[in-house]
Amino acid sequence: MALARTWAIALTGVDAHLVEIEADSAPGIPGVTFTGLADTSVVESRDRIRAAVFNSQAKWPNRRMTVAMLPADVRKVGSRFDLAVAMALLACSDQVPAQSIDGAAWIAELGLDGRLRSVRGVLPSVVRARELGVKRVVVAEGNGAEAALVPGLDVRVAHNLGEIIAWLTGEGPVLRPAQPNVDSSDQASRPDLADVAGQTLAKRAVELAAAGGHHLFLEGAPGAGKTMLAARLPGLLPDLDDAAALEVSAVHSVAGLLGERAQLIRVPPFQAPHHNASIAALVGGGSTLARPGAISMAHRGVLFLDEAPEFAPRALDALRQPLEQGSVCVHRGGGAVTYPAQFLLVLAANPCPCGQPAKDCTCPAQARRRYQQRLSGPLLDRIDLRVQVDRVLHSDLLDEGAARETSAEVAGRVAAARDAARERWRPLGHSVNGQVPGSVLRSTPWSLPHKALAPAAGYLQRGDLSARGFDRILRIAWTLADLAGRAMPSPVDVAEALYFRTGHGEVAA
Amino acid sequence: MRRAVEESVLLARAYLSRVCEPGSFVLWTFIERVGPVEAARAIRLGVAPLEVMSLTAARRSSADAASDLDAAERHGARLVVPESDDWPHVAFGALERVAGPSKPGVCALVPPTALWVRGHADLARIDARSVAVVGARAATPYGTHVTAEMCFGLAAQGVAIVSGGAYGIDAAAHRAALAANGITVIVSAGGVDRPYPPSNATLYERALENGLVIAESPPGSAPHRSRFLSRNRLLAALGTGVVVVEAAVRSGARNTASHALALGRPLMVVPGPVTSAMSAGCHQLLAERVIGAILVTGWEDVLSVVGAIGEVLPEDGYVPHPAGDLRDDLDQLEPTSRRVFDALLLRRYLTAEAISRRSGIGVLDVVRTLPSLILTNLVESGASGYRVAKRVQAPR
Repeated sequence: MALARTWAIALTGVDAHLVEIEADSAPGIPGVTFTGLADTSVVESRDRIRAAVFNSQAKWPNRRMTVAMLPADVRKVGSRFDLAVAMALLACSDQVPAQSIDGAAWIAELGLDGRLRSVRGVLPSVVRARELGVKRVVVAEGNGAEAALVPGLDVRVAHNLGEIIAWLTGEGPVLRPAQPNVDSSDQASRPDLADVAGQTLAKRAVELAAAGGHHLFLEGAPGAGKTMLAARLPGLLPDLDDAAALEVSAVHSVAGLLGERAQLIRVPPFQAPHHNASIAALVGGGSTLARPGAISMAHRGVLFLDEAPEFAPRALDALRQPLEQGSVCVHRGGGAVTYPAQFLLVLAANPCPCGQPAKDCTCPAQARRRYQQRLSGPLLDRIDLRVQVDRVLHSDLLDEGAARETSAEVAGRVAAARDAARERWRPLGHSVNGQVPGSVLRSTPWSLPHKALAPAAGYLQRGDLSARGFDRILRIAWTLADLAGRAMPSPVDVAEALYFRTGHGEVAA
Repeated sequence: MRRAVEESVLLARAYLSRVCEPGSFVLWTFIERVGPVEAARAIRLGVAPLEVMSLTAARRSSADAASDLDAAERHGARLVVPESDDWPHVAFGALERVAGPSKPGVCALVPPTALWVRGHADLARIDARSVAVVGARAATPYGTHVTAEMCFGLAAQGVAIVSGGAYGIDAAAHRAALAANGITVIVSAGGVDRPYPPSNATLYERALENGLVIAESPPGSAPHRSRFLSRNRLLAALGTGVVVVEAAVRSGARNTASHALALGRPLMVVPGPVTSAMSAGCHQLLAERVIGAILVTGWEDVLSVVGAIGEVLPEDGYVPHPAGDLRDDLDQLEPTSRRVFDALLLRRYLTAEAISRRSGIGVLDVVRTLPSLILTNLVESGASGYRVAKRVQAPR
């Protein structure tokens, strides 16, 4: 047999492409040549594959071999093609039956000793393979649990190349099917809202953020519990449905974070990058093809930026496009990659750079002002909720007997509110109040009666509220109404919304 | 019923306004003697007295009244002439009374030949209750602050604010009047279609919504230096009184102040820090006893000078925003609001949580109640919470 054909999967961001691997052997000077837009990292696999074949007690054909990777216009990067290329070469030298590898896809890196090694991005690759009708996929043992998340096709794991050859030639046992990880103890445990003492208003803001998809700004002295509150936000969001879980898991898979005990990510993720993170770390990047950044890892979850004014202004400004579009497009020499990035943004900031509680702070007003101004207007414009987090009182902290709401109770309200909002905005294509533009909220049939608007209109008249601020009030008021099970916001909702726009009710345009 | 001005008079006045630079005593007396139509005809034909001809020779034949009126209409401006109903007779009567030939370095105090006016407000009504506010273009934050407070208060009391549309004090005065929904008048040194400085063009546009832009020179005229000086006499005349906020020792504001004195208008001066060069001119005006400048510190002081008798009685402790009797307001509060209010302190700001603890009312109910207390001016908010509003703190 001089010609063999099999399949591999290429990845561009989270988009997978099926790649046909053809190998041909002909008389001539022995060697392997690659055609079809193979990256240097693919071409240099030649020696690795050769060693792996030798060390698996197979023969390296003494002929001139050509490996074609098609379609040729998809860029192939990395070591994930090793196993597929090895299988094609073995088949064209008649060491395994050619028909046994046609219709199967191979996703693994080879070690010199012939061992199969895990690669990143197996989940989206297998999903794509199933969509395109591939019947069988073979992966390394470390990727088994991840590949098994995709039902409906035959996923097998192998320890080394020798096992595969033995299986295909009928000289050894059949390869093991991949086993999903069903150990529920591996699911991320969620911190509970009941752990937070006091902080009624801040908790309310977190509940509002979860229910309405509003971005949130927590201000307050260190130790007031800003991080604690933010970390509890994912637990208030509804669990990810199948489609969302697959999207989120795919991004984590591409980032190589699913690990050997991979499970579908059902809990909305929580990402808290440190404030010296680079733009590439935040929005995604890399030299040839971009890797997902923290904002994509927070897709359908929460992105928490603690000490937000300490972030580089350019890094913060890079968040503006993803906030608007729900995705981020990273352009690199090797092409543009789009990652999903639909996240709930939570910013936290100290009132001043010294980080002391307000009464001990001796910073000049100018310094505090400058610190606050490091957050650009356009970014703050996208944040609906703003709340002051004060230090917990000792009495609240020690009052263990007080009935504190658990995350589950709040999450129940949040789910009901989200359902109401989704139902209302379905015709307009929005799912949460935080996405609805102000122009919609001000037009019929959504505009509120004068009586309900009275408090906000009063602020507007006095010049204490800008037009944009007014739209934010409307969005928050709708979420408050949804949480209370009202069909329309009442004056009480609008009055409460006024507080959450400015934190302390301080006048700010 | 508004009486239409004869076309011939309008064309004649437009021609006269173009043919001679503003503020000419010679031209004014000539027009007074023979009437505008005859004056225009004589100048165009070159048969006017020699001294009139020497003033008008340069533009005698090129001036085109019809096209100026067309240009004005295109810019939404109209020509107001002494024969019109809305000519501000009260304001310009003073100029008529003191009219005389110009002295070296000082522009002649004569009424304008005609006025080009943009905006819908009635010019004749403005001069009954108005204050001209003048001051430095390079104003300090102190100056703009005082100006803004003063003009906001005056405009809220229905006093029209007249100023020159320049940077600094002028702009602050116009803006404050507009913010208070009051009437403001920009007296421009160039044509009504030429905002000066150009970066104040938006201010000019905003002034048109609720006020006027007026100019003595026809549309298209550039704001020359001499036109600023002749413009200043109109500022002084149009205000029932003149307020100088910040003026250096030599300044246009002082020029306007001297016109005000010549016209018998009350001259009011806002003092500044004695260390500030921008207030040195103000202090000089106040120090010269013969001038009789009145020291003012706020809009109440100004109103007591230019307002109707008894409008402001300083001893009473005037309440800026008459919002009903305080005790009534408090009595009308619902029990929850009343308890929230009672929990507040006079000086220190309290957070919503602190108010909740002091009042025993749930913190969410506290934040829902606060907006209505703020809107009735019982409570004010600050960077760190809420406290009893200033109005309530004042001795009752």
